[in-house]
Amino acid sequence: MLISCNKLKTHIKNSEDIDFLKVWDKFTIRTAEVEEVKVVGGNIDGVVVAQIVDCQEHPDSDHMHVLMVDYGEKEPIQVVCGAPNVRKGLKTCFVKVGGHIDGIEIKPRPLRGVVSNGMCCSGRELGISDNHDGILELPDDYPVGKDIKELWPIDDIIVEIDNKSLTNRPDLWGHYGIAREVAAITEHELLPLEIEEIKNDKEDLNIVIKNPELCYRYCGLTVENIKNNTTPMDMQIFLYYAGMRSISLLVDLTNYLMLELGQPMHAFDKRVVKSLEIGLAKDGDTYTTLDGTERKLTSDNLMIKNGDKYFAIAGVMGGLDSEILPDTDSLFLESATFDPGSIRKTAISLGLRTEASARYEKSLDPNMADLAIKRFVYLLHKENKDMKITSNLTDVYPTKLEEGHISLTKKKLAIYMGKTLDDNVVKTILERIGFKVEVKDDTYEVVVPTFRHSKDVNIEEDLIEEVSRFYGLENFGPSPLCLELSSKEQDTVYNEEYEVKYLLANKYDMNEVHSYVWYDTNMLKELGVEKKGIKLLGKEQNNILRDDLAFSLLNIVNNNLKNYNSLKVFEIGSTFKNNQNERHLAVIYADDEKNIECLYNEAKNMVKTIFNNLKNISVTFKENVNEKEYYDSSLGKVIMAGEETIGTLNVLNKSCSNKIAKKKAIVMVDIDFDKYVSLKAASCQIKEVSKYPTVNLDYTVIADKDTKYSRISEVITAFKNKNIKSSHLVGVYEDDKSKKYTISFNVGSNEKTLTQEDLAKFKEKFISHIKDNNLEIIE
Amino acid sequence: MENKLKEILASAKEEIEKTTKEADLMNVKSKLLGKTSEISSLLSSLKDMSIEDKKKYGSLINNTKKELEGYVNNHLAKIESKSNITFDDTLDYDIKKGSLHPVTIVGREVTDLLRKMGFTIVSGPEMETEYYNFEALNVPKNHPARDMQDTYYLDNGMLLRTQTSDNQIHAMERYGAPLRICAPGRTFRNEDMDAGHETTFFQLEGMVIDKNISIENLLYTVRSLVREILKQDVEVRLRPGFFPFTEPSFEMDVSCTICGGKGCPTCKNSGWVELVPGGMVHPNVLRAGGIDPDEYTGFAFGFGLTRLAMMKYKISDIRLLNSGDVRFLEQFNIK
Repeated sequence: MLISCNKLKTHIKNSEDIDFLKVWDKFTIRTAEVEEVKVVGGNIDGVVVAQIVDCQEHPDSDHMHVLMVDYGEKEPIQVVCGAPNVRKGLKTCFVKVGGHIDGIEIKPRPLRGVVSNGMCCSGRELGISDNHDGILELPDDYPVGKDIKELWPIDDIIVEIDNKSLTNRPDLWGHYGIAREVAAITEHELLPLEIEEIKNDKEDLNIVIKNPELCYRYCGLTVENIKNNTTPMDMQIFLYYAGMRSISLLVDLTNYLMLELGQPMHAFDKRVVKSLEIGLAKDGDTYTTLDGTERKLTSDNLMIKNGDKYFAIAGVMGGLDSEILPDTDSLFLESATFDPGSIRKTAISLGLRTEASARYEKSLDPNMADLAIKRFVYLLHKENKDMKITSNLTDVYPTKLEEGHISLTKKKLAIYMGKTLDDNVVKTILERIGFKVEVKDDTYEVVVPTFRHSKDVNIEEDLIEEVSRFYGLENFGPSPLCLELSSKEQDTVYNEEYEVKYLLANKYDMNEVHSYVWYDTNMLKELGVEKKGIKLLGKEQNNILRDDLAFSLLNIVNNNLKNYNSLKVFEIGSTFKNNQNERHLAVIYADDEKNIECLYNEAKNMVKTIFNNLKNISVTFKENVNEKEYYDSSLGKVIMAGEETIGTLNVLNKSCSNKIAKKKAIVMVDIDFDKYVSLKAASCQIKEVSKYPTVNLDYTVIADKDTKYSRISEVITAFKNKNIKSSHLVGVYEDDKSKKYTISFNVGSNEKTLTQEDLAKFKEKFISHIKDNNLEIIE
Repeated sequence: MENKLKEILASAKEEIEKTTKEADLMNVKSKLLGKTSEISSLLSSLKDMSIEDKKKYGSLINNTKKELEGYVNNHLAKIESKSNITFDDTLDYDIKKGSLHPVTIVGREVTDLLRKMGFTIVSGPEMETEYYNFEALNVPKNHPARDMQDTYYLDNGMLLRTQTSDNQIHAMERYGAPLRICAPGRTFRNEDMDAGHETTFFQLEGMVIDKNISIENLLYTVRSLVREILKQDVEVRLRPGFFPFTEPSFEMDVSCTICGGKGCPTCKNSGWVELVPGGMVHPNVLRAGGIDPDEYTGFAFGFGLTRLAMMKYKISDIRLLNSGDVRFLEQFNIK
């Protein structure tokens, strides 16, 4: 929002004491964020009122004229001008030689052979409007030779305030509210607005509110015999500086009031107004707004109806047939307050965010509505001495918004502030921003004006905010928290995630990736996989939430395989199933197909290491019949921690992996991380170390070619002997006919050194155990 | 006799220094000092000498023997100091490196600091109910934050959380007052993506509830945290802000680390950079968490972890973070 400091000055008593360049630093830390402070008019000087006393055609141009201009010096001076509206007798703005426009010095210079000693200028050249159709035309009573800056408020400071930081402050959507804040910051007095009281000795207008829950208040007034529709220059300049275009006095005044008070108004041509009704539109109806666009309406849209026809979209935009026309000399003036949510919804659904709707969305104070009309009438009357008010100020106001009453506990204020403030300090601060305060023993009884009560000041804490910001946020010092020695129950998830990530990156050289929680639609299509997950509303692409983290990472695998031959990536992230969040760890290995066994075993070891190192738990792998169509049906494993399933190890099937890259093996591990976190780490069981030496005995078991190690392992485990300290697989050797597994036992006793006979006995027992299980052994 | 000993010593020294291997040296040693060595035979010849000679030559011979032993040991040390194994010791292979995601690294740093300050780290769900994401946080039904264009609504009536503030309610329900938590996590906004905007990014929520918690406690906590993170004695200033879940609300600005607060293009000449939004927990939020606002007060603040990671590593395009591009990610170390 653009704020003119000239305008603010008119609302503040003794405003000359305020430094309007510097006050905005304070405003930023008291009230709202200031984005820019810009001095305007400073690059213009030497511009005076001048009169064209002679006007001849330029001998060498079809559009330029040679003028003699009286600018208050002894002799008129010769000037060449190309504007179409030059004529003898016209008063205009004239830049003298040595003067500046937009920072550029005006010098005598020949134009097509005729010397021009100065320049007549347009509104745009002077920086006070967009108009460049011709040079400015000044009223006849302007004194020749007078510096234009003494007549018009060209010098100004324009401040841009971040709209977002005003969302909660409906009172700051006009200059008067900003002036109130600046006055409070600088400890000045805010001047009351000059208004015209309206004698209600005429007829009421016919206004009916059908939906009082959506239209809080509707004020109307008719005014006739408006002859002068020219906007005074200072108002034109203000409107331009504040970001609007001057159109005509009647339209400008509604905009002026909106910029001044924050109250949107509407001026209808009285000639077409019959009776007004404020109610909801009928579904499917259409209405053409002021901008010429036909809009489709729904029963959510609040409308102003004139007789039985739509007249305006309430709080958003008027229509073509209710517009002010050049010959309009009578007005129906609207000043209303609507429900912010309803206006917002309508503006969004119609794609029509206007200056008015932006303000209504903020919860305007309904008690401003009649004030705006009185102010409008005051300003209109100044320009139209003979105008007539032809109706009562008709005020339909079903439920009046009253001032708020809040009891602010001194104790609570002291807690928030971290200190106790003097009663007078609190009272002065709140009174300065328009609140009334009664000091009691334990409380301040505060009356909140409606312009603050319509939205943001409703509870004690809101008052604390007011006190704290005017006490000065820069006056708060840092104060440490009390040391708390009692330790709360800890949520370990974050730490456990980190431990696993660190292990994978550090020990297994893996790269952690982050991905999106939805499947990539193109990837699903490419792989020919259909997913029926939870869907994002209003999205056509990438709209299915993932239920398989590892599978959702294939997109990333695919992209990286363009740059790498092999890949090891992981992520801990959410998946979504049956309206529940689940946390999973996914690890993906991708490498050439010939390395699949190596990948598979590394994946297994990685899983075992995670559980062993971080949980002191041994996991096992169980054969699995995979229900997911994209995994290889024979190579799937279920990862078991004791009896509990905690994850899966899979290989992407050939048909899918071929679509990602030819001749690649992709091994995918999924661990249910919620379950992982809930697993308690096993305590470390210490066994006594034997005083007597142990012996390592290696045996090679021979099996058929198609025997898997799982069978060998079962047999070895079934061999019980109290002297076995540990055993492990040393290696596998394969020839044409058989597989040879070398197993190593560590054997010893805690009571004695085992003798040769003991060891021979052990060997004998083991050999017979192997043979009993129909396996052979190298003796 | 003396000359003889000198001769033995000189020739032995020569012989010892010729050896380059331990085994050779041991052979020389046994030849010089063993039972059949000259020294040994000289020693055994002592028994036939007079007492005077015994005294005189006995110590001479023994000294020479000790000297010889000294030569052998010194030379052995020399040999052992240099390995005999020869290979190309200048070969240099690349090490294999894993990497953690930059957000993980920054998140760990910040949570480590908070943990030291007594905060418990919690994690909340990414798919949330409207209640936890909005209603309990005092965001009313028609509030702009609830708009479709900002929020990912789901066909099961839930949504993807738009902020980590949902953890405030979860934490209050779980722990009650007093509490001190922080919650790093993934958040979602239905936005068009460009170099500065992502649909999926990380925040960190901090919340303290206790008796007599003040605005000054908030300022202290945020200032300490920011100083630790930026490793600079920056100043923090409070500025009025507006968030539905806090009252009063603040934007917390940090003095510009580029210009030190004097004003530069980075801070738009203001000397301050907006970094941490926060405020005093709104009484409605406390009530929603089952805590009596007349007994307890508290503060909450938010950190953009993704933004912090971008600042720390000078990452100019936010989309790189979720790209999964290992060429980018492998540059981050694992600490």
